[in-house]
Order: sequence, then C-alpha cells, then structure tokens
Amino acid sequence: MAGRSLTATTPAKLRLLGVVLVLLSLAWGALGGWTVSQHSSAASDVVHVEQPLTLAAQQMYESVSDADVTATTTFLSGPQPPLAPLQRYRADIAQAAADLARLKAAAQGDQPLTTALSDFSAGLPAYTSYVAQAQTEYALGYPLTGGSFMQVASEQAHVVLLPAARTIYTLQDAALRAASGQATSLPPLIAAAVLALITGFVLYRTQRWLARRTHRILNWGLLTASAALIISVGWLAITFSVARSDLVHGIGSGSSPAGTLAQASIDVQQIRGDAVLNLISRTGSTSFQQNFQSVRDQIGPGPGTLLTVAASSSSGRAANRIGAASADATAWYAANDQVYRLDLASAYADETKLVIGTGPGSSAAGFDQLESDIRGAIDDDLSTFQSSATAGANAFGPLEGVVIVAALLMAGGCALGVERRLREYQ
Amino acid sequence: MAGKGRTPFIVVVAAFLLGLTAACGNVASGGGPRAGAAPPPSSLRETGSTLLYPLMQAWAGAYHKQVPGMTISTAATGSSTGIADASAGTADIGTSDAYLSSGDLVKNPTLLNIPLVISAQVIVYNVPQLGGTHLNLNGQVLARIYQGTITSWNDPAIAKLNPQVRQLPPTAIVPLHRSDGSGDTFLFTSYLSTQDPPWNAAIGYGTSVAWPSLSGARAAKGNKNMVGTCAAVPGCIAYVGISYLGQATGDKLGYAALENAAGHSELPSGPAINASIASFVSSTPPNETISMVDGPAAGGYPIVNYEYAIVSTRQPDAARARAIKAFLSWVITKGNVPAFLTPVQFEPLPPAVVTLASEQIARIG
Repeated sequence: MAGRSLTATTPAKLRLLGVVLVLLSLAWGALGGWTVSQHSSAASDVVHVEQPLTLAAQQMYESVSDADVTATTTFLSGPQPPLAPLQRYRADIAQAAADLARLKAAAQGDQPLTTALSDFSAGLPAYTSYVAQAQTEYALGYPLTGGSFMQVASEQAHVVLLPAARTIYTLQDAALRAASGQATSLPPLIAAAVLALITGFVLYRTQRWLARRTHRILNWGLLTASAALIISVGWLAITFSVARSDLVHGIGSGSSPAGTLAQASIDVQQIRGDAVLNLISRTGSTSFQQNFQSVRDQIGPGPGTLLTVAASSSSGRAANRIGAASADATAWYAANDQVYRLDLASAYADETKLVIGTGPGSSAAGFDQLESDIRGAIDDDLSTFQSSATAGANAFGPLEGVVIVAALLMAGGCALGVERRLREYQ
Repeated sequence: MAGKGRTPFIVVVAAFLLGLTAACGNVASGGGPRAGAAPPPSSLRETGSTLLYPLMQAWAGAYHKQVPGMTISTAATGSSTGIADASAGTADIGTSDAYLSSGDLVKNPTLLNIPLVISAQVIVYNVPQLGGTHLNLNGQVLARIYQGTITSWNDPAIAKLNPQVRQLPPTAIVPLHRSDGSGDTFLFTSYLSTQDPPWNAAIGYGTSVAWPSLSGARAAKGNKNMVGTCAAVPGCIAYVGISYLGQATGDKLGYAALENAAGHSELPSGPAINASIASFVSSTPPNETISMVDGPAAGGYPIVNYEYAIVSTRQPDAARARAIKAFLSWVITKGNVPAFLTPVQFEPLPPAVVTLASEQIARIG
C-alpha cells in the first residue's frame, strides 16, 4: 500500500522522480569528483613524491657502491692517493647522506622501510670511520693493517649498507608502481561512467514522460541538468584519456625502463666492487668469478636481459645510449674475464694494473664508460617520464571543481524543473 | 559454589590451550622434535688450520675430561677447507690462520671470525754450519732469496745483517714454499710485500702467489711437510707456523730473528710476540679482522696473527649453538693458559681481545 501511494498519483510520481534525480546528480558529483581527486592526487604523487624518492633510493645505492669502489681502488693506488678520487669518495658519501635524510623524512611508519633506513643510518658512519682508519694506517706506513681496515669497511658496505639500500630501493620502487597503478586504474572511472549513464538515462526518461503528460516539450531545469551532465562527462572523458595516455607513456617509456636500467647499474656496480674486493682478498676463492658470470647474464645484452628489456621500452636518445651501453658491457666483460684469469694465476701485479689502471682496455675505464652510458640512458628515460607524467598530472586542471559545480547545477536544475510541474498540480 | 564450579573449567581451557600449542609446535616441525628442544649434541666437529691442529687436539682432550658428554673431533685439513666447511655447515667450527676474506663474508654474511689464540710465523733454515746461531733476516733479503737474486748463504746482503757471524757458509740457498693455498703463505708474502716494495709490485701477497720459477726451489704441502722437506735439503729456507718450531729445532733446523718496521731484529719470543700484538689491541675492530704483520712496536716480532675460529651465527638448533658457545668460551678463557699454549709456543689473547671475542661468541644462536 505504501509503495503504491508513493506512485499512485502524478504529483507523487513527480516528487519521487525529483528526489531520485537530485540524489543521482549529487551521487555523480561525489563519485566523479572523488574519482578525479584520486587520480589527480595519485598522478601528482607519482611525479612529485614517489618518483623523486625512488630516484633518491637508487642514488643512495649507487653512491655507496661507487664510494666503496672509489675508496678501495684509491687505496690500492698507494699511500698518497690523488685528490680527484678522494673528492669523488667524499661527494658520494655526502650524496648518500643527503638521500638518506630525504628518504627518512618521507618514511611514514612502514616497518620494513624504517628498519632498512635505520640499518643504513647506523652503518654509514661506521663505514666512513673504517675507511678513514684504513687511510690513516696506510699513511703511517702500515699498508697491510690499512688493507684489513679497508676490507672491514668493504664488508660493512657489502653486508650492511648495500643490502639495506637495495631493500629501500625495492620498497620505494614498489610504492612508485602502486602509485602509478592508482593513477592509471580504470575501475573508479568505469563506476563513474556507469553512474553518469544511469543519471543521463533517468533524466531522458523523465523529460520524455513529462513531455507526454504535460504536452510541454521543454523543461528548462531538466534541460540545464542534462547539459551540465553532458559537459562534465565529456570534460572528464577527454581529460582522463589525455592524462592516462600521458601517464602510461611516461611510465612505460620513461619510469619503467629507467627502473630496469637502475637495476642494471646496480649489477654493474656489484661486478666492479667484487673485482676490487677479490683483488684485496687474494684467497684463491672463485666465488666472485662465479657471481660475475651469473650477474653478467642478467645485465646483458641478450634476450630477456636488463639492457635488452630497457632498450625495447625506450626510444630516441635513451635507446641509442642503451645500444652503446650494450657494446660497452661486452668489452668490459672481456676485461673482467682477463682480471679473473690473472687472479687464478696469482698474477696480482698485472691484475692490479688491469683493475685500477685507467688506460684504454682497463677494467676501470670500461666500467666508467658503461656506467656513463647507463646513467645517460636513465637520465633520458627519466626526462621522458618527467615531461609526460607532468603533462598527465596537470591535465586534470580544474576538472574536480567542474564536476562538482556541474553536479550542483544538475541537482538544482532537477529540483527546479520538477518543482514547476508540481506547482501546476496545486 | 560458583567459584568451585569455575576452577575446573579454567583448568580444562588451559589444558586445551597447552595441548593446542604443543600440537602446533609439532605440526610446525613436521611432527619431529622442535628446533629449540633438540637434545644437546654429544660431539662437535672442527676442521681447518694445520698450524692450530696440535693445540686443538690438546684442547679437545682437556675439554672432554671437563665435559664428559662432549667430544670435539679435530682434523688438520688446512684453513681454506676449514672456512669452506664452516660456511657449508659440514663442520661446527672451522679454524683459520687468516681472517675471513671479504669474498667469504659477502657470500656468507653469517660467518664470524673469532680469535682463539695468538700465533706467529718463523723462518727456519737448514745450515748446520751455523750451529745454534740465529741469523738476522729482513723482508728485502727474504724477497731476494725467493726471487733468486740471493742464491748462497754467504751473500753480502745476508752478511751485512749478521756482523756477529764470522763466516757464513757458501752453501746454495734452496727456497721452500707451500704448494697448497695457505694462510701461512698469506702471512709470509704479506711480510715481504710490506718490507720490500719491488716484491709487492711484482708478486704481492696472497694465500697462493706466482712464485718466481727457480731451478733449485722446492714446494711442500702443509707445515709438517715443510719442516720435513727443509730438514732433508741442505741450504733450505722455509716459513712455518710457530707451533712447528719444536719439530723444526728437533730436526736441527735453525730459525731467524726478523727485522721489524722499526729496524730491530727480534726472535719469535713470547715478549716480542706480545709486544707486537699490544700495539694493535686498541684498534682491533668489533669483528676482529685485522692484519698485524710488520706493526709499529719497536720490540715486536713482525709476523704475528690471530688463529681464528670460523663459526656461523645461525646454527641448526639452540642446543648445538649452546654447545659451540660453551666450547669457544672455554677455549678463550680456561684454554688460554700456559699449560696448553707453551708446548706449541702460542700466546694467550689480551683481555680486551677476549672481551671482543666473547661478544662475537654471544652472537651465535
């Protein structure tokens, strides 16, 4: 009975339609506005928060790795090290400390992340103190004692700092991927589109019903609501397609290959660090050589390797740089093969020359060239990401306000349009 | 009444929860005994340093008398095998003359190197004409001997270091080195590398090095064979761990006083070894990885080292971890006394190093 009384008369039907239309309009405003807000905020996070933090985490790893390689090779060069590598070591440590401060400031209670940051934070001063002691012992005329402190420092880097930095990078990269996924996810957009369709359908049927009942073709209130709905839906659709396209391009052709190249760079640093550690250790163990063989297979070039995967996603200058890096890697591997051959033959003098020498064909020169090309490709990919993702994030502009204002106009138009017809029945 | 009625119910609930906990424990460990509840082991396996082997045997016997339920099996396999066995878990304790390399630690970060005792390396020679005279030698002369540029015992460079010897014999020098990779070779070549830059530039230091190819040179495996070979070859010179000095002197081999960084020649006596170690105690890092070859002590013997136990911080069960900790703690305290050390001429750890070693032992779990 109650159900029937709500729609038994035309005024009752009109009242019900009015309520439904106002609620649908407001729901559209809420859902559309929320969807825009979520995507806009996620896109902004990707560009301004997560990507810079991921870059900081990657830089932190590279800084420590480079500092360790620089400190050990400088140590191998003699008790009076040249100024340039010392400055490079100090710059690496300063960069790592700055990145650490930035990452710590941004960490928000994520337990694995804060634990890794604490480990790194505690380990960095211990590492630098061991390096300083190694340099002091060497300068005082005790190269072997200095060498053992350099070994302790390297162990601190390899056993504490680099694993912590790798964990931080992995977690930060996962956060970047999550934010990227949220910025380009479709389900909330599909829900908003379905609601817009339902609202549009109810508006259309209401106007057709009123036109047949009252013989008045135009209801200005409902017409205004329809126009507001069409404009807001159209604006939202165009904006989303532009923003999503930009973000997907930025991530797929910028951030993603940059991440793959960052992994390649980390692996390259590991090979270099291992070669230097092996030279200092001189135990006759082949464990570093075995690691070298497996890590080079991951870096590439070759099907499914990091360099090849990154090249397939990159374009323009970055792709060219990766091509150059692939050629560098092949030549550098040959130098490293020779390093390990010399080590097996206990030819330490020649091995030292090949590892720390800077002439053409040396491991150090090959490493610098490879790192330079990978770094250049990462910068190019990040530049692609930055321009595309920024354009995508900025595309949302005033859309959230437009959707809300349109929803209010729709609600007002529906209320006014239905109220006028109701008045005619009183 | 109510109180009386509630008590049995609580007991039943508690018993149920206890039973459930026990059942979960059994399920988690596949129905077998839980890791924490494993029975104490009746034996521990040690492999590694041939230099430490005689002392380890003495320790093992004494420990078994004090703890009858525990047997320590020992094997002189060489330091590299000891490290590999401890890393692979096939030995409870590896022993090594050298600290772990970065490669070992990076590959297995759970490994610790814990000093057990202080050792030294001696240079022995087979020159009967010298009687009981101790020759003075330094890194430069030794490097030139092993490079083949000093070929006879009456070479002017040796004579210059030994003005107290009226006439050195013209016997040809036969340099003897280890044929296997060893901590002894690491220590000896480290001394040569520190004292003789050309050696460092041309050959360097390591557990094995590219020995210059000399027509008369010999090679032997292990300390025992080094002494035996040297005793059989007139004019021989060799490097061996101090625990084999008794065997060497028994075989009529002489041993040298070595020149330290301050330019003083010192015999491998207890005071000279301890003087050398003392200069490094304050700077020993928490993981006790430190090279003490050719240190700054004016009265110090230049080739000294810790003998290390290589142990993983992660043992298969708590009982085994406790047994290893108990044995190692005993070694660095009750086992570090003259009754054990004097026969093999090792020296006890300084108290500060014992403290660091105890902290490392506490990490075994």
